[in-house]
Amino acid sequence: MPFCPGCGHGIAIKNLSKALEGAGYDPLDVIVVSDIGCAGLVDPVLATHTIHGLHGRAPALALGISLGLSNPGKKVLAIQGDGGATIGLQHLLEAARRNVDMTLIVLNNLLYGMTGGQMSGLSTLEFKAGRHIEDDAPPFDIVRLTHEAGAAYSSRVTAPGDFKTHFAEALATPGFALVEVACLCPSHGVGKMKELVSVASGDLGLARRREPARVAFKETAPLFEKGRQTEAPFHSGIKERLGIVIAGSAGGGVQSTARLIANAGILSGLHATMKGEYPITVGTGFSLAEVILSTKEIHYTGLEVPDAVVAVTTDGLAKARSRIKPGTSVVLDSKLEESASCPNAIYGDFQKEAGKQGAALFAAVFWLVKEGMLEADALLEVARKHKHAKSLVEVIERGVGVG
Amino acid sequence: MQLIDGSKIITEACVRAGADVYVGYPITPSNWFYAYAQKRFPLFLAAPDEISTLQWMSGFSAAGRMPVTATSFPGLALMVESLNMAYMMELPMLIVVTQRLGPSTGSATTGAQGDLLLLRGAISGGYPVPVFCPSGFEDCWNLAYEGIKTAIRYRTPVILLTSKEMVMTHRSFDLSGLPEIEKVERPKAEPGRPYQPYRAGEDGVPPFVPLGDDVRQVRLNASTHGNLGLIQKESPEAMANTRRLQEKLEQNIPAFTFYGLDEETGAEELIISYGISADAARDAVAALRSQGKKVSLLIVKTLLPFPPAILDILERYEKQVFVEENLPGLLRELVYGQARRKNTRSVNKIGSMITPSEIINQTGGEAFPTG
Repeated sequence: MPFCPGCGHGIAIKNLSKALEGAGYDPLDVIVVSDIGCAGLVDPVLATHTIHGLHGRAPALALGISLGLSNPGKKVLAIQGDGGATIGLQHLLEAARRNVDMTLIVLNNLLYGMTGGQMSGLSTLEFKAGRHIEDDAPPFDIVRLTHEAGAAYSSRVTAPGDFKTHFAEALATPGFALVEVACLCPSHGVGKMKELVSVASGDLGLARRREPARVAFKETAPLFEKGRQTEAPFHSGIKERLGIVIAGSAGGGVQSTARLIANAGILSGLHATMKGEYPITVGTGFSLAEVILSTKEIHYTGLEVPDAVVAVTTDGLAKARSRIKPGTSVVLDSKLEESASCPNAIYGDFQKEAGKQGAALFAAVFWLVKEGMLEADALLEVARKHKHAKSLVEVIERGVGVG
Repeated sequence: MQLIDGSKIITEACVRAGADVYVGYPITPSNWFYAYAQKRFPLFLAAPDEISTLQWMSGFSAAGRMPVTATSFPGLALMVESLNMAYMMELPMLIVVTQRLGPSTGSATTGAQGDLLLLRGAISGGYPVPVFCPSGFEDCWNLAYEGIKTAIRYRTPVILLTSKEMVMTHRSFDLSGLPEIEKVERPKAEPGRPYQPYRAGEDGVPPFVPLGDDVRQVRLNASTHGNLGLIQKESPEAMANTRRLQEKLEQNIPAFTFYGLDEETGAEELIISYGISADAARDAVAALRSQGKKVSLLIVKTLLPFPPAILDILERYEKQVFVEENLPGLLRELVYGQARRKNTRSVNKIGSMITPSEIINQTGGEAFPTG
C-alpha cells in the first residue's frame, strides 16, 4: 500500500477491493476516479481502469464518465478524502441531486494529511477540542447533505469490521451511493481505533428508493439547411448602403421590426446585418436595434453615421439621441414632439395608430416605403411568414397607407 | 441568402463534425450557443458552474464522447485548472470563448478581444493550446469543424476564440456555399496489441482507448506520469511524456495553420488583424486601395500555437499595423513581446468595435465615416 504505516486508507482500500470481488466485478469492469491528497494515491494498487484528476473534482469527473459510458454494467467508483469532499462539495450535491450512477468513497481522516495535518471541513468538534484548536464550527455532515440532495444511498462507517457491509450495499445501489469512512492517520491525526471511535461522527445509514439518472443521445434536426437559396424578387431604392437605428421600449417589437426589415432587404437583393441592444432586464427599459442594408457585402457591422433614426418612445429616444448626426433623418412619435427638441424630425402618430406594440414597425415601415428604400410588398412578404402574421400585416398596411 | 448568426453556424458545424454532448452554464454573450445546443446536440447537460462543466466534459471525453461548451472570460477563468487537467490527460474537447469587455465581470453585452494572452499562458509551463479565431461566418463554419478535428486528431482541448459581435450579430449569408462537413470519428487504438495509454506514435499522439474498455486497462492522469498513466516524478520517462505535450502540437502546426492573406503587389505595409476587428480591416484596406495606397491584409485565424508560416509573412513587411479591440495590443505582444519595433503601429480600442476610419487614420489614408 502506498500509504504511511498504520494509515486507515489502506484498510479501507483492501476492504473495498474485497467488496468489488464479492460483488462479482472483474477489474476492467471498474473505473476508479481518484482525487488529490492521500486518498488519491490508490491508482497503482488497483488493477481497474484509473483516472487521476484534480483536487475535489473526482465526483464531477465521475459524473461525466458515468453518463458518457457506452457500455453499461461498468462501475464508476470515485475516491476522495475529506479535503476533496469540501473543496468540491458542490459536486457531491450535484451528483446526489441527479442520482448519477456511481459510488463515492470519502476517506475521512479528519484532516488534510498530505499538507501536514491542517483541519478540514469534516474535522469534528471533539477532534479539534482534543488538539486545542479554537474553531467551534461543526463539521459538514456529508451523509445527511447528500441524502437531502437526493442520493439513493448515503452512509458513514467507523469500525473496519463494518466496512464490507457498507461497501457492498453502496456497490449494489443503482444511483448515487456515498460511503464516508472514518480513517486513522497515525502521522498527523488519530493513530488508535479507540480514540477514532470517540472523536468521529457517529455511524449513519440513509437511503431512498429512486431511479438513477439516465441520459439518451438523441437524433436531432439541423438548425438550418445549408442548401436553401432564397430568391430576391423585390426592388430596392437603396443606392449603396442604408443604416437605420430603431429605438423604442421593451415589448415594443423593436427587435422583430429590425429583423423584418433585414429580411425584406434580403428579399430585395440586398446584403443585411441586424443587431440588438437592450438591458438585461426583460419587459422594461429601452430596446434598440441597428439594421444595415447594402448593395455590397457588409464587413464592418457598426454604424458610425446612421441614415435614419426612428424612435417611438421616450426610453428609445434617450438611448438613440447620441446616434443622430448631421444628415441623419429623424422619425419620431408625435408624443415626443415637445420634449425631443428636434425641429427637423418627421413626426407621426405611430403609437396612436398602431399601439405600443406596433408603433416601431409602423414608423419604420412608413419611412422606408415613403423614401422608396423598400417596397411594401417585400415587407409584407416577410410579415406573412411570421408567427404573428395577421397583426404585423395589418400594421404594415396601415403604415404604408399613411405615406 | 438568409439572416443568421454566428452562434447558430458554429453550433451546427460542431454537431455535424461529430460533437455529441454539450455541457454548459449560461453566460452572456455566449447564451445563444446554450440555446441552440439544447435543440441540436444529441445530449445537452446544464452544469451548475464552469468547473463542473469542464470536469463533466472531461469525463465524457475519457469515455469516448466529443464534448463542447461555450463561455466568456468569467467562466473561462473558473475553467483554467480543469483545462490543464484535460490537456494533461490529453482529452479532446472544444471550448468556445465569446470575448466580452473586462476586466472582471466588465460589461457582459459589450464585445472585446482581451483574452488572447490569458489563453497563451493558461497551461502551467507555457504549453500551447490550439486557439482558432473566426473572422466571418465562413470561418465560424470551417474553424468549428477544424477545432473538432484538431481536438480529436491531436487529443487536446481546442479553443474557438470569438467575441460578442461575431456570434450575436445577424448577417445575411449564403449558406449554400459552405463546404460539407464530414463527421470526425474518434480513432481507437487497434485491439490485440499491448496497450500503454501514453505511449505515443511518431506523430506524438497516443492512441486512444476509452475508459471502461473490456480488455485493455486504461489509466489517465493529470499529474506527471509515465507511459502507463501512473504518477512518476521526474523520471526520464515522465519528463519525456511532459515534453511530448509541447512537441506533439508544435510538430503538427502545419496541419492547423489558418490565415487569410490579401496581398497587394508592391505593398510595403501590412495590416494585421483577427476576429471581429478583421471586418473593419477589410473595409479599411478597400478604402485605402481606392485612394491609391498599396497595402496588404493578413487575418490571423490560428492564434496559438503561433504558426511559423504566419511569421514568414510578417517578415516580408517592414511596416506593420496591428488592429485589435484591446488596449495593450495582445497579438502584437504575442508576436513581438516588449521589443520596440520600428515602423510598427497599433490600432487599439475598448468599449466598441474599431471602425474602418480609425484604421485608415493610422495607415496614413484619408478617413471617412462609415455610413
